[in-house]
Amino acid sequence: MINDVLTNKNKSARTSKAISNFCIYLVLVLFAIWILAPFSMVVITSFKTRKEASDPEFKFFPEKWSFEAYKDVFTYVAGVEENEIPVMLRGFINTLIIVLPPTIIGLFMSAMSAYAFAKLRFKGKNWLFSLLLLTMMIPGTIMLTPSYMIYDMLGWVDTPLPLMIPGMFGSATCVFFMRQFYSGIPDSLIEAAKLDGMGYFKIFWKIMVPLSVPALFAQGILGFIGGYNDYFGPYLYLHDPEWYTLQLALTSFSGTYSINIPTVMAGAIVAIIPALAIYVVAQKYFIEGIATSGMKL
Amino acid sequence: MFLDKVYSKKKKTKKEGILGLLLSLGPVVGFLLFGLVPMILAIFMSFMHIEGFSFEGSSFNGLDNYKEVLNDPLFWKSIGNTLKMSISTFINIVLALIIAFLLTKNIRGKKVFRTIYFIPYVCSVAALTIMWKWIFNTNYGLINGLFTPEGQDPIDWWGRADTFIPCLIIMGVWSGTGYGIILYSAALTNVKGALYEAARVDGANGLQCFFNVTLPAISPTSFYLLLTGLIGALQEFARPQIISGTGGPDNVGVTVVFYLYRNAFQYYNMGVASATAWLLAILIVFLTIINFTVSKLWVSYD
Repeated sequence: MINDVLTNKNKSARTSKAISNFCIYLVLVLFAIWILAPFSMVVITSFKTRKEASDPEFKFFPEKWSFEAYKDVFTYVAGVEENEIPVMLRGFINTLIIVLPPTIIGLFMSAMSAYAFAKLRFKGKNWLFSLLLLTMMIPGTIMLTPSYMIYDMLGWVDTPLPLMIPGMFGSATCVFFMRQFYSGIPDSLIEAAKLDGMGYFKIFWKIMVPLSVPALFAQGILGFIGGYNDYFGPYLYLHDPEWYTLQLALTSFSGTYSINIPTVMAGAIVAIIPALAIYVVAQKYFIEGIATSGMKL
Repeated sequence: MFLDKVYSKKKKTKKEGILGLLLSLGPVVGFLLFGLVPMILAIFMSFMHIEGFSFEGSSFNGLDNYKEVLNDPLFWKSIGNTLKMSISTFINIVLALIIAFLLTKNIRGKKVFRTIYFIPYVCSVAALTIMWKWIFNTNYGLINGLFTPEGQDPIDWWGRADTFIPCLIIMGVWSGTGYGIILYSAALTNVKGALYEAARVDGANGLQCFFNVTLPAISPTSFYLLLTGLIGALQEFARPQIISGTGGPDNVGVTVVFYLYRNAFQYYNMGVASATAWLLAILIVFLTIINFTVSKLWVSYD
């Protein structure tokens, strides 16, 4: 009798657990569909023919899967000259040229600065660090007009320099994140290195950097993706199609092809894929980088 | 001997001081050159009449720029537009919290879900906007293709003043929740189990636990999301600009930064544009202060 009651109770607990689990899954799956549905429709549409995509009679799937749109994306050259590099490909190369150097150099500068703030004693340290923190709060919009005029006077407008040089000095967010990391490394390690006759820079280069490779990697990826996806900066400073980044190439490309929907969609997909690939491969670093830099404020 | 040691230690500290300063200086110098100098210049520029992009022939004109901006109905409209678009920030926070909370439950496939939710965050605004421009396209778009009843005219989503911003908000919710989910997930795993146990002992049920334990414990994250979300949203530019380069129907696509951009680079009026930038900055600082003040009531850092 008691046993019966007990199993019944267990059963009802199990069913209520199953029901609540089912509800959780339902919400999570619905939310996943909400995120993925627009993507999948865009992908499907990119395989339609132009005629099919502009048919007032809407169909989910193309009658025949066509790669015409992707051919457009990879072969479209804005000019008429022969042997010109396709617009999107050039945009991709330009993006790498513009984004990689400031990402790598800036990362190095930030890490060095973070090491100094975390482990070295010097005058004005706290004051300088507060100054850096303050910069994170300043809305970038204020700098827009004066920066443009300064760059114009320097002759930097229409060159990638305004997008490259400032980043090479490092960024406050990155310093903040890396300092957090370096503070966690025990001082005894540094003392031991000092006894071995290592200088402060050597300690940074030989001990701190190797220890912080994953953290540096996380910040580097975040920086690169940020630069890769940037639209406003390139839009402001690069007016010559020769220097268009991938994002600018994409918008100008989608303007040219505006009525050819599959081609525009294919362009958007092609522009997304490199960033998406990095995300999928380096997901761990990516999410860690974001979670920690957002957590510590 | 003893003095020698003291001396060498002093020398070492001095060396450390100089090197520390040197090493730390990169980002600081970067900020001074590309942040502080332009910022100070922007103050002057906002009180100047400037022809084109050169200071030649420019003159101080007092508060004229500010008066011009504040007397322009389009400026006030742009503020309204921007604030309306920022509604997605609030929806994002609530949705992200719910999803992140469900993800803490003991279920399979958490990782897959999280990976999916975060995808829009890594995609470029330009590409996503181009996608959503198509989704709400009048004649060939996804929404109208799926939902337009037979014989009825399709809705011109991007061409109507009353649907333009709601469409942007929907897109904003779609693309912006992932970030919040990641931050909340991290925050939720850091909530100490002991807190829950104590609440259980006191007889709190699941819902009470959530509102009295979880919510206060992760309030710093909510605060951070609200603050950064609003600061970002108030500087919106790319999405409405890519959808309608002319400012959308009845100028509902003109955000404050869009307004500023037009003054600077279409009307070549850098003075007025700088004044706009400072007004926006004041608005942001004002909202930040409110945020910080109100946060004392609901954010706990225990």
